[in-house]
Amino acid sequence: MDENLAVFIASTLRLAMPLILAAAGELVSERAGVLNLSLEGMMLTAAFFGALGSWATGSPVLGILCAVLASFVVSVVQAVLSVHWRANQLVVGIGFNILALGATTLLYRIIFGGLSREEIPGLAKLAIPGVSDLPFIGPALLQQSVLVYFGLACVVLIWWMLKSTAFGLSIRAVGDDPRAADKAGIPVARIRFQAVLIAGVMAGLAGSFLSVADINTFTENMTNGAGYLAIAAVIFGGWTVWRTLGACLLFGAATALQFQLPAIGIEMPTALLLMLPYLLALLAVAGVVGRRDPPTALTLPFIRGK
Amino acid sequence: MGAAADITIDTARAAEGRPLLALEGVSKRFGKLQALSEISLDFKAGEVHCLLGENGAGKSTLCNLIFGSHAPDTGLMRFQGREWSPSGPAEALQSGIAMVHQHFSVVPRMSVVENLMLGQARGRLRHREQAALIRAMTAKFGLDVNPDAIVGELSVGERQRVEIVKCLMREPRLLVLDEPTAVLPPEEIGALLDIVRRVADDGRAVILVTHKLAEIAKVADRVSVLRGGKLVTSLPMQGTQMGDLVRAMVGREVTSLESALASSLAGIARAEKQGDGPHKYALVCDGITVRDAGGAVRLDNFTLEIAPGEVVGLAGVEGNGQTELGRVLAGLSPPTSGRFFIGEAEMTHASAAQITAQGAGIVPEDRHAVACVTGMSLAENIFLNKLGQFTRFGLLNRTALTEAAKGLMQDYDVRAAGPEIAFGSLSGGNQQKAVLGRELTLDPLVFLLAAQPTRGLDIGAVEAVYRQIRLAASRGVGVLLISSELDELIAASDRILVLYRGKVVGEKPARPDQREAIGALMSGHA
Repeated sequence: MDENLAVFIASTLRLAMPLILAAAGELVSERAGVLNLSLEGMMLTAAFFGALGSWATGSPVLGILCAVLASFVVSVVQAVLSVHWRANQLVVGIGFNILALGATTLLYRIIFGGLSREEIPGLAKLAIPGVSDLPFIGPALLQQSVLVYFGLACVVLIWWMLKSTAFGLSIRAVGDDPRAADKAGIPVARIRFQAVLIAGVMAGLAGSFLSVADINTFTENMTNGAGYLAIAAVIFGGWTVWRTLGACLLFGAATALQFQLPAIGIEMPTALLLMLPYLLALLAVAGVVGRRDPPTALTLPFIRGK
Repeated sequence: MGAAADITIDTARAAEGRPLLALEGVSKRFGKLQALSEISLDFKAGEVHCLLGENGAGKSTLCNLIFGSHAPDTGLMRFQGREWSPSGPAEALQSGIAMVHQHFSVVPRMSVVENLMLGQARGRLRHREQAALIRAMTAKFGLDVNPDAIVGELSVGERQRVEIVKCLMREPRLLVLDEPTAVLPPEEIGALLDIVRRVADDGRAVILVTHKLAEIAKVADRVSVLRGGKLVTSLPMQGTQMGDLVRAMVGREVTSLESALASSLAGIARAEKQGDGPHKYALVCDGITVRDAGGAVRLDNFTLEIAPGEVVGLAGVEGNGQTELGRVLAGLSPPTSGRFFIGEAEMTHASAAQITAQGAGIVPEDRHAVACVTGMSLAENIFLNKLGQFTRFGLLNRTALTEAAKGLMQDYDVRAAGPEIAFGSLSGGNQQKAVLGRELTLDPLVFLLAAQPTRGLDIGAVEAVYRQIRLAASRGVGVLLISSELDELIAASDRILVLYRGKVVGEKPARPDQREAIGALMSGHA
């Protein structure tokens, strides 16, 4: 039982990680008033270029850099469209997601060939001598990919940034009341632009986690809605860092159950288990549980004097 | 910050006569509207300079030019001796000009400290040090603000003080206040004016925009009067008579509007008050009380009966409960307690659609936000409340709609290129006439609520609006007319109720000789 629990915790953390990384970035962007529906597309792009970079250079770290760069480029375009050209954020996001799915599938088939399941160099698991071998805690928490700990550190950093820095204060202000922020002398467009870029970088890490740190391969549409789940986690988390983290872990746990319930001999229809995280997300988005008010200016472009 | 020494030097220089800010022939045009023409004015440190003028005189535009929200078309501004052409509010703030806007620029979900650090702090936030600074600042100027309070939970007066603290934290040489007293309950106005005085005495220049004379008498060193975008006069307050200012502001004796309006309305027959129609009352309000989210009473036990054919004016300075009453009667939010009836049918918890069906026409206070869809055509807007008449099997009969719209445009003198033009492209007066026409053509029509129906309209449109309202009354409609323009109320109503801090404090016949008595009630001196 203990062993099962440790495996369950470990796989929860592992499965929640891409959500945590992506949601942390999305949280920043949404607090600034920009809904990045293209999160899914960013992650998928990152997952592909992470795999490509890692495969081409033989270095998973360079692979992750490629992933972050690719996602960053997508976020720059997204920011230009939604912040400067004030395009409808939902339309831009959906457009990007379709484009990313098509483009990565095409490139994957061209570069890796039809049904390749080629293994790519993956990121090493953390192995601190002595500590990682601790009973229970070791297997549960301390035998993860390095990216897991890096990602958790990013979450703490984002929490601190939002709460305790002038930049974080500006982000919250442009998301809640861009007019007031503008009058206070805050460059609304620039802050929003930067917030979208942060979401892009974090989505890059999230995407590369899938292909480089976790499964060590790329498959078509491998994000499979993880980007949408991350957005749902931000909503579920009431646009606060710790609650969002909790929501990601909950979704991760729901996914982990798929593997754990059969292992401890509980028979459940697989379809139901597969559905569980999405069902939770639906309940969260519908506001059945833990409803909070979104940033007031979320999805609203800012035009001075209007 | 830490610019106090510079300010003292500036004060010394200003004493020698050099203005802190000088405008030289500044003009600004918005489309067809010449908002400001050839304004030349000096503003000095240590002075409270009041800008006086009616709505639309150009006061706010002038402030926005100084603050960099707009750029002048022609003319020159000099600030501290150098040419002043700010790229935007950010540059103005950096250069020592701060502005308290009519609409607050505070973020409601943040605490006072966070709001004050916004745009000011760099790098890591230092909440505690900042809170201490705020306490020192508020003590100096007699502002009462708790740094840790969430702004959204504060009263209007407190929020405004946050705005003022925010401005003062930047140590401005020039503080601009755009109609700061318009939003305040009367008991907070005195405190605000004291603060303004202290800020000027501290060696800064203050521009105070207002259209209330009593405030000017209390605090101004110099008064400049704007009318129709032009500077009428600029005088030191000492030795200036109030009557002179009023004449400069309105460009005529105050009573003339009222008498012109009254004579134009006199031709319209007044309906028989003892209505022979189907209803005994058009509207009955029985003890309507409204509390806001914070539990404060906004409207207190409001009771009123309006007979068919009667026009009842509701006077009061804005923010004394009129908005809340309007929302209740329009079915937008139910009262906390009390009931109301339209033509004897209880409508207390009815929806807006049910209230309309019962025969209540509503001309809401904020026609842009509530009354119309600016992106739709004029014709569509005019018949928004009776599209069913033009629908067959779910399809809209556009030809009939357009024809009917033409008729209504003619009847209500709505001037537009045609019924298909976008509603938003109409002038304010024509928009209001269209909304009024739409509500007055409801069938049945028992009661009409007209809330601030002439706000922002020119005199011709004002007259047209009241003419239509009186005509409706002569057909037996009971009207509740809410306005802060007392002269208009006197001309258009049969009797006038005065609302002060949510309470009806008196009722007077709508006669010119009652003007002073009503004015006294409005300002709380009963």
